[in-house]
Amino acid sequence: MSRPSKWARMEWPLLVNALALCAIGFLNVYSGTRVHGVTGTALVTKQLVWILLGVGAFFAVFLLSDGFIEETANGFFIAVLLLLVVVLLVGKVRGGAQRWISIGAFNFQPSEFAKIAVTFALARYFSGTYRYGGIGMREVLPAIGLVLAPFLLVALQPDLGSAGVFLFILAGMSVVACVRWKVLAFFAGSAVAAVPVLWYFMKEYQRQRVLTFLNPELDPLGAGYHVIQSKIAVGSGGIIGKGYLQGTQGSLRFLPEQHTDFAFAIFSEEWGFLGSLLLLVLFLLLVYRLFFLTGRSQDRFASFACGGIAVFFLTHIVINLAMVCGLFPVVGIPLPFVSYGGSSMLTGMMALGAAANLSRSRFTFQGGGGKVRRIDS
Amino acid sequence: MMSRIRKREQDPDITRRSLILLYVVFGAFALLLGRLYWLQVVESDRYRDLSENNRLRLRTVRAPRGLIFDRKGRAIAETQGSFNLVCSPVDVKNLEAEIGLLAEIVEFDVDDTEVLDKIRRAKRTNPYTGITVARDLRFEQVSVIEFNRENLPGFSVLVEAKRSYPYGTSFAHVLGYVGEASPEELEQSEDDSLEMGDLVGKYGLERLMDDELRGVNGGRKVEVDAAGRDQRLVEEVPFQAGGSVHTSLDADLQVTAQEALGNRAGAVIALAPRTGEVLAFYSGPSFDPNVFTRGIRKAEWQALTADPRKPMQNKGLQGTYAPGSTIKPFLALAALEAKVQEKGKTVFCTGSYRLGNHVFRCWKEKGHGTVDMYRAIVQSCDVYFYTLGLKLGPDPLAKLEKDAGLGTITGIDLPGERKGLVPDTEWKRTVSKSRWNDYESVLLGIGQGAIHLTPLEMTVGYASLGTGGEVMRPGVVSKVIGKDGKIRTFSPEMLRKLPWDTGNVEFIRKALAGVVNDYGTGGGAKLPGIVVGGKTGTAQVASVKGKMIKSEDLPYEIRDHAWFVAFAPVDDPQIVVAAMVEHGGHGGSAAAPIVKAVMQEFFRTRTVGPPRKEGT
Repeated sequence: MSRPSKWARMEWPLLVNALALCAIGFLNVYSGTRVHGVTGTALVTKQLVWILLGVGAFFAVFLLSDGFIEETANGFFIAVLLLLVVVLLVGKVRGGAQRWISIGAFNFQPSEFAKIAVTFALARYFSGTYRYGGIGMREVLPAIGLVLAPFLLVALQPDLGSAGVFLFILAGMSVVACVRWKVLAFFAGSAVAAVPVLWYFMKEYQRQRVLTFLNPELDPLGAGYHVIQSKIAVGSGGIIGKGYLQGTQGSLRFLPEQHTDFAFAIFSEEWGFLGSLLLLVLFLLLVYRLFFLTGRSQDRFASFACGGIAVFFLTHIVINLAMVCGLFPVVGIPLPFVSYGGSSMLTGMMALGAAANLSRSRFTFQGGGGKVRRIDS
Repeated sequence: MMSRIRKREQDPDITRRSLILLYVVFGAFALLLGRLYWLQVVESDRYRDLSENNRLRLRTVRAPRGLIFDRKGRAIAETQGSFNLVCSPVDVKNLEAEIGLLAEIVEFDVDDTEVLDKIRRAKRTNPYTGITVARDLRFEQVSVIEFNRENLPGFSVLVEAKRSYPYGTSFAHVLGYVGEASPEELEQSEDDSLEMGDLVGKYGLERLMDDELRGVNGGRKVEVDAAGRDQRLVEEVPFQAGGSVHTSLDADLQVTAQEALGNRAGAVIALAPRTGEVLAFYSGPSFDPNVFTRGIRKAEWQALTADPRKPMQNKGLQGTYAPGSTIKPFLALAALEAKVQEKGKTVFCTGSYRLGNHVFRCWKEKGHGTVDMYRAIVQSCDVYFYTLGLKLGPDPLAKLEKDAGLGTITGIDLPGERKGLVPDTEWKRTVSKSRWNDYESVLLGIGQGAIHLTPLEMTVGYASLGTGGEVMRPGVVSKVIGKDGKIRTFSPEMLRKLPWDTGNVEFIRKALAGVVNDYGTGGGAKLPGIVVGGKTGTAQVASVKGKMIKSEDLPYEIRDHAWFVAFAPVDDPQIVVAAMVEHGGHGGSAAAPIVKAVMQEFFRTRTVGPPRKEGT
């Protein structure tokens, strides 16, 4: 049968959108790190390398043949689980958590890749159990079991923020995979009931973060410091911002982690409300596009995987921005494409590449869009 | 491969479910947008201020205090550089640990929580303003602090101006001292020119002239990083140094007065009678105002305030004492002015005087024999003045004494002046609620009873005698050069001119010259080449029943106060000196030599014409 080439079915809007965000992130990393005086390769140069590698990863995943992702989903999932075990045993400890594996000069976090792996594995599982009228408790429990393994491994590092992302992905994909509302309501209720239990198992610093989130003034120079300084950075930006490279909260080091998790604080201080608005619009377009692909894909696995990827981005964006604005406790969740960091960049690009790859399926039987038809004819 | 596709068209369920999630997305983004609008548009000004507070620190540059000079242009209060330990409350990480470390370097009172409390308070209320924790550190202390830099993030050593008094204890009571502005003073500061940690005058001239002496602080606005390190200077406002105060005091006379009084308690005051200029004003025992500059310690302060001889009191200004025989010239003048008694009228002194069943003794047990007014003053005959006091009565005497400046506020430009008391029948009626009796009149003659005066009042009174009735307001400050460069001079101010008969005044002066030069009680103040006129006084503190006991044999607390007040040269006085020695014994032996020493120093650098012929 005649099929348009992969390139003809390329999902350009996703990549352009992501590259726009990368450009903003790149400028922002420069502003956030220029006074650091760290020896070795400047972080901004490293970020450029990560962006290029990320684009490479995007195409590498995009060019995988149809069905390859679905077929290898389980194998990928098991491989990542093994990596998570390895990181627990030999990983690098930073800031009290064992999250990194070093390969040469580069450190990467397997938990980032685990998010993608879990998405694929869940998509594969749900595509098998799907039935008209929704699936019930019996089909959902194995899905929970599937997520539980990586969740526990990451929570043990301990990295509750990333672990929480698994739950959001599970919840989001359950909605897309048509789990019955009754079942969803039951789990939502259980989640609320689990809060006290969770509190009991939390480490002291995590409890402290939650408490200081509820009242940052409790400890203005300690745990509440991040939130207070971050709000000051965002708020002091005003409508039009202080101007690029004119921010003071980051360059005078009042904001810790200013180029990674708190990159948005630097950005909105320098670009103001208008800049924040632009960034929000770009993120909204990205997530909207992913949900659009979720609904349009003809392949159930593709639909569910795109939905999972959309939820993955949504979770990161909303939690990170809410945290910077003081609406959510401080957790180690980066802002996709904007925060400095290789693992986050590669994961994000790979996820988009996968979404682009899978969404090719939507051209399969409908004869494709206008562009495709022209190639056909 | 195609076999994997389980459904061949879009699943409406999945599309609907995606749409539902999309609503969640819109909701979440709307929430974020609202939050950003709140932070960046509504609350933006507040956060901008907070970010400026983060970034900018105002470092006060304290203005040096103005100088105080004596009449010959010598600085008697000056400003020097001093290493001060300053705390920036916001940068303190662990207050207890840092203070603990500092306590090993700087001599803090360890139990004294004052410093700790101050920093704690400032951390809450005013964390960006530096607090001076210790002043005037030694070089070794500075180097140890610098060596421990890393452990003392909230503290730094700054060079600031400190007050110093080169003459030490000599000028303590006149100049006063400075100290950090108290919370009340900060509150009262009208134009907010006073900042925490600023030095203000607490006593004496420092307090009186504080507005002139205190400069206007400058400031440096600097950008700091999160660790509180200065990054760059944003703005600088220069300080304005304080104005200077010129006084009529003479450091040589002041030191002489101090040395002459020695470690006895008392006061020595020297005035220029024609102008009222204060040449010397010493009160003993004194204190070292430099101690207050570096911050007085509790123990030192307690020692000062607990001392029974009251070193913190300016005895010349605030101490009141019975005048004793120094009052006699005023009695004589009052009698002459009121024409109650002629100069030539004699009284026979047997050594005692009886009124009713009360016997009043003369200081000379054997009696003076026949004495006229001149002799009575020269010999200080008590019996003569008992009779004169009785004859004169309290009211005409009180009037003349008050006119001359006794028992009144003299109006000197030093803070805290107190006035003595000159009793009259009115006072007796209103305050004691009883009638005046003759016994009191008799006692008035020798300056005992209810009367008590400050040494300053006595000095002014004798200056009035010396000038023949010109009562001048005593003044210390002669010229002020303000912060703005404007010069204000203070010219002599005559309070009143008394219509005393010239002949009578001339007679009193002659009699006072006789006290010193004509085998009188004040021979100890005799100076070669200059005719000094003065009067001794020995004021009883307690009456001792029975036999006369020599004052020296009594316990210190009830020994007599010794007075000597004199001016010179008698016929055109250039200087009047009063010396009062608390529990010093006889005026002639204890106080007269002090006056002599001061006058000797005064005339050492001045030439005085030959005395006018007596009897003119």
